[in-house]
Amino acid sequence: MSKGSSRRTFLTTGLAAVPTAAITSRINPAFSQTASAQPAGLQYRVLGRTGLKVTTVGFGCMITSDPAVIQKAADLGINYFDTARGYQGGNNEKMVGAALKAKRKSIVLSSKTPSGTKEGALADLDESLRQLQTDYLDIWYLHGRSKAEEISDGFLEAQRIAKKAGKIRFSGVSTHSGMAEVIRTMIAKKADLDVVLTSYNFSMDPSIEESIESAAKAGLGVVAMKVMAGGFRRVREGDKLRETLSREGAMLAALKWVIRNENIHTTIPSITDMEQLEENMRAMTLPFDESDKQLLASQLDLIGPLYCRSCGQCRDSCAKGLPVSDILRYLSYAEGYGQFRLAREEYLRLPQEILQQRCALCPECTVNCPKGVHVAERLRVAQEMLA
Amino acid sequence: MKGFRIPPISLLICCFIVFASLIGSVLGQLPDCAQVEGWSQDGPLRAYEPDNLFDYMNGNAEGYLIYGFQKMQGITCKCGEDTIVIDISEMADPEYAYGMFLANRDSRQPTQDIGMGGQILERKATFAKDRYYVELAANPAKDHRASLEKYVALIEKSIAGRSEPPAVINFFPTARLVSDSVRLVPQSVLGLRILKSGYTAQYDFGKAFLVREASPESAVNVMTRLKERLGQTAELQIGDEGFKGTDKYLDGLWVFRKGAWIAGFANLKDETDIAALAKEFAERIE
Repeated sequence: MSKGSSRRTFLTTGLAAVPTAAITSRINPAFSQTASAQPAGLQYRVLGRTGLKVTTVGFGCMITSDPAVIQKAADLGINYFDTARGYQGGNNEKMVGAALKAKRKSIVLSSKTPSGTKEGALADLDESLRQLQTDYLDIWYLHGRSKAEEISDGFLEAQRIAKKAGKIRFSGVSTHSGMAEVIRTMIAKKADLDVVLTSYNFSMDPSIEESIESAAKAGLGVVAMKVMAGGFRRVREGDKLRETLSREGAMLAALKWVIRNENIHTTIPSITDMEQLEENMRAMTLPFDESDKQLLASQLDLIGPLYCRSCGQCRDSCAKGLPVSDILRYLSYAEGYGQFRLAREEYLRLPQEILQQRCALCPECTVNCPKGVHVAERLRVAQEMLA
Repeated sequence: MKGFRIPPISLLICCFIVFASLIGSVLGQLPDCAQVEGWSQDGPLRAYEPDNLFDYMNGNAEGYLIYGFQKMQGITCKCGEDTIVIDISEMADPEYAYGMFLANRDSRQPTQDIGMGGQILERKATFAKDRYYVELAANPAKDHRASLEKYVALIEKSIAGRSEPPAVINFFPTARLVSDSVRLVPQSVLGLRILKSGYTAQYDFGKAFLVREASPESAVNVMTRLKERLGQTAELQIGDEGFKGTDKYLDGLWVFRKGAWIAGFANLKDETDIAALAKEFAERIE
């Protein structure tokens, strides 16, 4: 998929892939053999070279308050559960451990360390095991890395020691931004790293598909997180648009959209209650269909005026010479992908004469976006946020 | 009418006060690192809002957003090789700030009277005061309590407002209560969406919960829906109305309503000897 593809095309491509997934699957055929819907309403895939058989819907425990929801999920057959040392000051691991103690052998359990040093990571691991009341983690992630150099030698050494000691079975890296770079680095270090936990949702830049495909082809297990967050993070709590985005079925449609990509082996949506759990379970049996496409498309329409499709038709149309699509792209780094620092760095690299311009001072905007992006308004936001 | 003349010295004092308050509003509650001897600021100040909190803490941001996170300001202080990262988060209200503290405190360690509640450990200090949740993280691994205590004292002093925990936590009966187990649940109490938000507390026989609805009428409605969901096995003469129910994952439940409050116990495997405690629970709810 080219980088120039629009998000709508990205969405539509996802839909088109559904009926022919078995034939045109873009994933390594060795893995696709394991993807199948189970009679019990569960769908499994193999988590890359780990060989672990995981349900396509897993459970992100980070904001779950009651262990009853986690216990019910395990009873219903969900078998991938994710937490981290840092969640709720370590209290989340404690709750997850208590909830899953009786099911430990039948589930895949992952946690994360934020520490890049060998000593720090290993100390975190021991504390994670204590809190989770287990002797081993199935997957141990280095938490939240976005650059190649952040995948530290200290962690790589720590995970080798931990594997040898039987404290972890597999290791990986979680990444919320800079996914392409992280995945490239992980592929290069394939002797050490087994699983990538990456942000992935319908509103993201289509180029993410290429990175995910390359990860799966290289044998990495691929776990998706923030399966809906991209749609929500742009909209503040209390905004009317947020109500629309969170209407019934939207989360399920977004989750189905993620799962329709067979390069994604499992997902870890946050689940806080039984109702949400039951809704998410349905993503494993219901196909991503026309109504889902319309639901997600309507969300793209809602956020459409905000996001540049990088068609380039606005080039040289600003009377003040602003590189419109570049600035809107930087804004999307901050708003869409949470990379505020990157957005500001990129923005501040623009020439001084550009940085000094203020759209608010222009009587009329000469840029007319054919896709309907409210350019003047968006540029003003960028100038206020990033300057 | 005779004019009132401000003496020049008073004018200067007024100007100074206005200037000082402006500086204060710029710096907010963040301390000046140099206020603790030997320490200095390391790098620029930090400021985050809901839109870009992910940039600072990735997925952990979700844990703040569900507690009504509004904004964060931060500073890093250093002394030789030692660093203390200070982050002050403004939450939607004091209850959320206190809830954030409850969710993140180390329940194995005692809490201290800092603001509404706080904790100073070897490498970490947290406390909540008014609508602010404050975190200090020290590196490298060693006992940093002396420095943490100094910064905590400075920050607590700079935050005006409420220092008492929400009164609601005193509604839970103290007998058989597991200490430091009260928690604010911002979404779906007991994992039930119908119980939007509230408090839970651990007892040696199960878990207590407490939810406030907008009005007694809406609480009546929620009770009706809870009965449908859980199945009423017996009526309870507690509060305005009550019932016993069961759930595969919540075990036995005692649920009662008092005005706009819905409360009770869950995870009951043995229901003996809790009737008096349930009645006391209802009586404590104001």
